[in-house]
Amino acid sequence: MEYSRPLVELRREHEPRFGGKSTGLGELMAADIPVPPGFGVSTDAFHAFVMESGLAGTIDAAMARVSADDVDTIMAASQAISEAMRFAPVPDSVQEEMSRRYAMLAEATGSDAPPVAVRSSAVGEDGQDATFAGQQETYLWVRGIDHVCDALRDCWVSLFSAPAISYRARLGPAVAATPAMGVTVQLMVDAAVSGVMFTCNPVSGDPSMVAINASWGLGLAVVGGEVTPDDLLVSKVTREVVRESVHCKEIEYVPDPGGRGVMRVDVPEDRRLERCVDERALAALTDVARRIERYFGCHQDIEWAIARGDDCLFVVQSRPVTAVPKRDKEPTAPTAMSFVMRTFGADRGSL
Amino acid sequence: MARSRLTRTEEGTLTPATTSAFSSPYAIETPPGCEGWEEMYPYYALFDEQRRETDENRFWFWNSMHFPVPMPAFDVICIDSPYQAVGSWQNRVFAVPPAMGIDYRCVNGYIYISGNPVTDPVKMGERAEFFQKRAGYYLENWDELYAKWRVKMEALIAELDQLRVPELPEYESDEIVFGDDRNTSFYEVLDAYSRVLRMMDLMWQHHFEFLLLGYGAYATFAEFCKAHLPDIPDQHVAQMVAGIDVVLFRPDTELRRLARLAVETQVDSAFEQGRSPVEIEAELGQTDAGRAWLAELEEVKDPWFNMATGDGLTHHYRSWFDDPSIPYASLIGYVSALNAGEQIERPREAIEQERDRLAEEYAALLDEDARTPFRDLMALSRTVFPYVEEHKFYCDYWFLTKWWNKIREFGALLAEHDFLESGEDIFQLSRYEVASALDELLLTWATGGAPHGPGHWPPIAARRKELLARLGEWTPPPALGVTPEAITDPMTIMLWGVTTDRVRDWAGQEDGGTELNGAAASPGIVEGIARVVRSVSDLADVLDGEILVCGSTSPAWAPIFTKIKATVTDVGGVMSHAAIVCREYGLPAVVGTGRATTQIRTGQTIRVNGTAGVVTLVEE
Repeated sequence: MEYSRPLVELRREHEPRFGGKSTGLGELMAADIPVPPGFGVSTDAFHAFVMESGLAGTIDAAMARVSADDVDTIMAASQAISEAMRFAPVPDSVQEEMSRRYAMLAEATGSDAPPVAVRSSAVGEDGQDATFAGQQETYLWVRGIDHVCDALRDCWVSLFSAPAISYRARLGPAVAATPAMGVTVQLMVDAAVSGVMFTCNPVSGDPSMVAINASWGLGLAVVGGEVTPDDLLVSKVTREVVRESVHCKEIEYVPDPGGRGVMRVDVPEDRRLERCVDERALAALTDVARRIERYFGCHQDIEWAIARGDDCLFVVQSRPVTAVPKRDKEPTAPTAMSFVMRTFGADRGSL
Repeated sequence: MARSRLTRTEEGTLTPATTSAFSSPYAIETPPGCEGWEEMYPYYALFDEQRRETDENRFWFWNSMHFPVPMPAFDVICIDSPYQAVGSWQNRVFAVPPAMGIDYRCVNGYIYISGNPVTDPVKMGERAEFFQKRAGYYLENWDELYAKWRVKMEALIAELDQLRVPELPEYESDEIVFGDDRNTSFYEVLDAYSRVLRMMDLMWQHHFEFLLLGYGAYATFAEFCKAHLPDIPDQHVAQMVAGIDVVLFRPDTELRRLARLAVETQVDSAFEQGRSPVEIEAELGQTDAGRAWLAELEEVKDPWFNMATGDGLTHHYRSWFDDPSIPYASLIGYVSALNAGEQIERPREAIEQERDRLAEEYAALLDEDARTPFRDLMALSRTVFPYVEEHKFYCDYWFLTKWWNKIREFGALLAEHDFLESGEDIFQLSRYEVASALDELLLTWATGGAPHGPGHWPPIAARRKELLARLGEWTPPPALGVTPEAITDPMTIMLWGVTTDRVRDWAGQEDGGTELNGAAASPGIVEGIARVVRSVSDLADVLDGEILVCGSTSPAWAPIFTKIKATVTDVGGVMSHAAIVCREYGLPAVVGTGRATTQIRTGQTIRVNGTAGVVTLVEE
């Protein structure tokens, strides 16, 4: 049984037990990309939770009554399982390991209760459709070991949300019966600016561009589509901004002054129309985008944050771009000459 | 996206749409006092009532790049001859399947042009057979054929140099009687005149021999880049191809070298701001070092002073020989830059490295199956590109400035016999009128009869000078006739920067506005004071740090680029001179705005966004 492991030790081959998010971050660290430290929680921890808290029976019984075509049965199963799970304790063995790992993060930061993000880390085939599979739970600015454990359990509970059950039910009984997930616990960056970038232009498909979306505060606003972010297209080759649209960014997410969680606040008037990434930040982003693309060998969709105070850039997630628009395939023209003939309308295809 | 610029015949090369956004060419009024301007131009150059129906339904745009001023009657040869030549090669030699040649018309002295598309598929198939064989031969044997072309062109220039315009003696020389094979002066003059006209035609034939294919090969590369790298800035495409050691840059390179020599041999104090070439040379002549510098300058002059002072195809553009104030302005600028500790040499190696770096990086970013055609097309573009740049020096500058001077010799002959008030007035007569005047001059010189010419020609020339001055005050609209659905001709797009979008902008800007759109030719954003330059003579007024606003620029304007902050032109594509030079100097440029020189006033504050291709009038 291995319940957890530092992100820095995780690689792609650990994906079946730790999930794509944790191993993806491990790979980024292996590529020397700046990633906030943290640890992955394995599916073993989830299984221990289900076994030791005696939830297995409840789950089996509830799931047995699910019919993929009947919303009511799905709702009922979701409610039964979620309630049971919320009252079940996280096993001591898991709790102890969580405390140990969290203490290490605390030590590294010099804070008793450093803020972390707790997110689900989807495993297996479901990783591709994690949204449907209910494996996209995220808890931000979680502080203190008790709250970390609560968030961990909440991630697990999300496996049995109604949409997640429905989704798995449609994939067949085998999938439906044996869900599992990893969880990622990672130090949080108090982001002055954050956003998403693609290592190509996702609209035109141009592979020589980095497309950057950026807005003030924590990444939630951009990822959740709550602001229209600044939109920049930067040449990988010369790093010049090829196109930019600066938008009015009305809100941002900041850590809750109460110490836990995040809150949505209005961006001060004078900063709404200010471009939130300067040339230095753009150069750093472009550089990191190119390194990540090179490491993974395919186009990536990257979440990033720039820390308040020291302006350090961190990557908090990277995953393959699945939907690069296919450019119209040129009709095959084997030689440069035949391309020129086409320009003059003198090739067979033109006539 | 488009497979080809020229093949989409359903849209037509310049096929009219049903609605007309521009003025009808027949609705343009003659400026007051310019009545009768039509007499300066051939009958076929006019929008005549007899062909109103067809001409009114075509798209015409003002070719301000080549004909920025109202055309003098004689200079019309520089319209006829190039359009004969370009049509011959495109339509009759290479038989480009969807495009024939270019028609022109004259309105109030300004030249509007319009292409002739081929739309019949059968005809296009027939033409494709010719094109494949003939263009293929040229593209495959480019370097060899271009080497022959240079020899041909230099021979033609030498022949022009040797062409004599004889004086008319009281008595013919003894050689006519005692020598072998000598002709009398009347024949020699007439022969020289017809030969000088034929040389012009031959030059234009040479000029277009390679140009279409050169542009086409480049356009193919550019389009390939746009298909596979949809957001690539145009300037990167150009940078990957542009020549480094091309002849076109040599005159300016030589001036930079001479400036450094002046500083190194400590004769730089002669190059004081505001001094004339004569004053500078007088001071240099007083010392050994100065004389050595002048000797070095003499070495450089042939051929590099055959640079023209502008890009237009009229007799107004002289060479550096004729107007040394242009190269001397450069020298003064370079000397003071050197004394300020600046580096003035073109960073040749850096440019070369950057061009290769761009090429490699883009190749690496492409899909694997696109890399080979990318590299091959780039190699082909680099092969053709020297011609695309260099023909300007050989033809437009070297030959043409000499040729206009040769015509001035005929002018001097006519003036000497009072057929003209001054030799320069020859440009007010058409080439046929000059032939007629020469005929009468030689007739009466031979017969001893009283010539009628001195009474006939001077008032005509005087009236026309007045007409041209008044027409020069008139502002031609960028386009006339109907809006085309799409512009697909590669020459029109690349050389003139006239694209479908640009034409729409022109149509939308008829009423003015505070923004002008053009091609993003050189990146960067600056704000500054505009200086509108309409002719070479205005160049001297440009102050440090101003933004140059002009019709178009030419390589001869080199000195200006060390002074200005940005460039805006009416006409030109990303391959136009202004675009190339601004990229090299790192100045933002927006080209092909259509109406910058008419909408912007000197002294106005404007913002030039060379990244987006937008010029904003900040202050009304």
